[in-house]
Amino acid sequence: MSGFLKKNGTRSVLATIISILVGLIAGAILVLIVGLTSSEIGLKGAWEGISLIIAGTFSTGRDAAGALSFGFNPQIIGNMLFRAVPLILCGLSVALAYKTGLFNIGASGQYLAGTCATLFVALSIPAGSLPQFVIWLLAFLAGVFAGALWGAIPGMLKALLNINEVLACIMTNWIAANLVTWMFDISNLKNAVEGTKTGYIYKTTYGLVNVDGVWTYQDGLGVSTAKLGLNKLFPGSQVNAGILVAILIAIVVYIVLTKTTFGYELKACGANRHAARYAGIHDKRSIVYSMSLAGALAGAAAALYYLSGNTELYWSVYQKLPAEGFNGIAVAMLASCNPIACIFTGLFMSAINLHGLQLANLTAYNEYITDVIIAVIVYLSAFSLLIKTWISGRKKAAKLKPAADGKQKTEKGGAA
Amino acid sequence: MEQAPEYVIEMLHITKIFPGIKANDDITLQLKKGEIHALLGENGAGKSTLMSVLFGLYQPEEGIIKKDGKVVKIDNPNDATALHIGMVHQHFKLIDVFTVLDNIILGAEDTKLGFLEKKEARKKVKELSERYGLHVDLDAKIEDITVGMQQRVEILKMLYRDNEILIFDEPTAVLTPQEIDELMTIMRGLVKEGKSILFISHKLNEIMEVSDRVSVLRKGKYIGTVNTKDTTKEELSSMMVGRPVQLVVDKDEAKPGKPILEVENLTVPSKLHKNNAVKNVSFTAHAGEITCIAGIDGNGQTELVYALSGLEKANAGKITLCGEDITKASVRSRSFAGMSHIPEDRHKHGLVLDFTLEQNLVLQRYYEKQFQNAGFIKFNAVREYANKLIDQFDIRSGQGPITIARSMSGGNQQKAIVAREIDRNLPLIIAVQPTRGLDVGAIEFIHKRLVEERDAGKAVLLVSLELEEVMSLSDRILVMYEGEIVGELDPKKTTVQELGLYMAGAKRDNTEKKEGQA
Repeated sequence: MSGFLKKNGTRSVLATIISILVGLIAGAILVLIVGLTSSEIGLKGAWEGISLIIAGTFSTGRDAAGALSFGFNPQIIGNMLFRAVPLILCGLSVALAYKTGLFNIGASGQYLAGTCATLFVALSIPAGSLPQFVIWLLAFLAGVFAGALWGAIPGMLKALLNINEVLACIMTNWIAANLVTWMFDISNLKNAVEGTKTGYIYKTTYGLVNVDGVWTYQDGLGVSTAKLGLNKLFPGSQVNAGILVAILIAIVVYIVLTKTTFGYELKACGANRHAARYAGIHDKRSIVYSMSLAGALAGAAAALYYLSGNTELYWSVYQKLPAEGFNGIAVAMLASCNPIACIFTGLFMSAINLHGLQLANLTAYNEYITDVIIAVIVYLSAFSLLIKTWISGRKKAAKLKPAADGKQKTEKGGAA
Repeated sequence: MEQAPEYVIEMLHITKIFPGIKANDDITLQLKKGEIHALLGENGAGKSTLMSVLFGLYQPEEGIIKKDGKVVKIDNPNDATALHIGMVHQHFKLIDVFTVLDNIILGAEDTKLGFLEKKEARKKVKELSERYGLHVDLDAKIEDITVGMQQRVEILKMLYRDNEILIFDEPTAVLTPQEIDELMTIMRGLVKEGKSILFISHKLNEIMEVSDRVSVLRKGKYIGTVNTKDTTKEELSSMMVGRPVQLVVDKDEAKPGKPILEVENLTVPSKLHKNNAVKNVSFTAHAGEITCIAGIDGNGQTELVYALSGLEKANAGKITLCGEDITKASVRSRSFAGMSHIPEDRHKHGLVLDFTLEQNLVLQRYYEKQFQNAGFIKFNAVREYANKLIDQFDIRSGQGPITIARSMSGGNQQKAIVAREIDRNLPLIIAVQPTRGLDVGAIEFIHKRLVEERDAGKAVLLVSLELEEVMSLSDRILVMYEGEIVGELDPKKTTVQELGLYMAGAKRDNTEKKEGQA
């Protein structure tokens, strides 16, 4: 057992589980306090809230007697899988950058760039002019490339001018938000068919068709991600093959980072830029590659989300960056930046989001309580390194000290 | 084991265990009042752990510490300070932008109504510096004074706190030969005034010169204590390493072959000041010869090597390697042209500290056919190669090839770099301070390997600050002073004194160029 505990991987997983548990406990306490102080909820309602927070994925609504019922709910699980796609990919984006020594806080901007390019391509190619799958693929690749481009900008600023990538990413996030809003504003992609909706862009299921010399959009003629039978497995849900693509990409990222010379170069450069230069690795190029790849992953997240055919974009995004980008940081940190682990933490974050929705649907609570839970988990995941050291105990830390060959830091007296 | 009160500090039967290692195994160290007691041992022998125990940073599993014959308990550094134990660390703990005086009183300031009261402090520091011959300008900022001066500030800090037992942790590692002499004088003055000194070092010359007694540790075990005047360098080194060590490099006459590296009128700008760091330097390194660039640290050697290795751009001049003009070539193409490079800073350039040992061992060759196939790393080949080098070069680490480089001792980190660079088998080896901070055993090993490479027909360009290394290892010495090569010497025909004069700028071959450096 002690050998098992000593393994680095085991400790990372344990640290993550502890973060999650503490987050859930914090959420439960909050639910309890809110329940007990509210006249309409009470202790029973609080208990229902807590059970939804923990097991909302398996909630099947309320039974005839009005009590919460639990069981296999294909719709919720399917939706969880669907909503996990952008989270996993944004998590990978942050994780890849982090493994190569960069902090990609710009996933939101890259996500927006990907959104914009995907929708423009998907909605601008006349339906029927190309096979549907080709249009889908072009739209997907457009999103990936736009994300990569948007990631390359902070990468180049870092490599050539030594500008901190965090600052550059924050800037490019807001540039993307305003640019995308403006581009949709002047576009004719705003949903004009469904009169009741304002401010939305067409879903990609709308196809551009020429009816008597006038270009219009018609629902059902556009493209959407193949379901591959997953909709039969999880009837009534939004799930599609995107989740498989996301898992595949996670595996590819893992292989590139751990098995290839390219990944070796990127990691060497991230861990010690000087040593990489000394070894003849193009450090500047590596930084641009890292950020571009990170951007491409965030772009892919957006592309898969909006190509699903179930989702539509509220185009006026200039005041609000998409949450996926920032949740990606949580996904990556919770996964200790391991690409494979990102799949699971992405699924978990998605599930927690859905628990919040269930909470709002079935009880008097509002869904924002889950935001608190996520916030606590994110805070703790940032401390996961600390928790990791705590698990391995103080002895390990002491053991590393003499190896550093006695450069102890002793402060004489109390320094001012 | 007599317990007479003649000892100010006694560490009796100290055992300190870390998971997996006994860092200190029943070590006894007794410091007499008014003596300079040297603590000698290889890297990882347990010197630092022992001092940390004395300083209250670690609690020993067994053993007791006595001060003036009375058992004391030292739980943290504050206890040590209260017992008047002070330490000068290898890396100074000074604030660069503060003045000397502010640094000395920092943490022990006198205040009046919350305001600093420096007058008394100034008087006390002045007194101390005169009494012990520690002359420093109290109002100069730390960043403006030399390393030797900074060390004096550290010593004054200890004296200001009325410390009786002074620990010097490898104090000479950063000093020039002249500064080392001054430090020795200061140390003698300190013991004359009744202070007791523990002197941690692995430099035998200094220990022989300044200490009264020597205690030797090896692999965590106490080997013995001897009177310095009754022992020899040879005896000490074999106590330290556990076998007889060759202190003089054993090598045959060099047989210089064809020129490998030709440098013509090289000029390199400085990052620190507006002048050029390397000024119009020309030299040639031949096959089968160890050419040495000697000089005091900061005279342009670092920049020269950066320019040669392609890490920095040269302003002017030409570099030819094996007949190929590499003046503007990238680092990698210089590598292809035949250059291997043991860098000066093993943590900055030499290693990716968070990588494993095996990943570091292929840092310069991961892209070669034998280690990758279509961009995929051949892990088995890497492991096999790493094991081969670990074996050949006796690189010791906790977990073999998968040890994280950061957790390895300095000596073994350096061995890993040397192994990696030598095994590339390229015509030119640039070795910059290849033995810095290493113990005799490791130094002997690296020197031997470099001589072997020379004999195999490689050109070795050695850059060193250690006079002894320069004199014993090189076949030809080029002295650098203020960015210029001021002299070419034959180590067999010159003396350390003469070399020192060249290094200090007091003497130069081609006169009339510049006058009056001090």
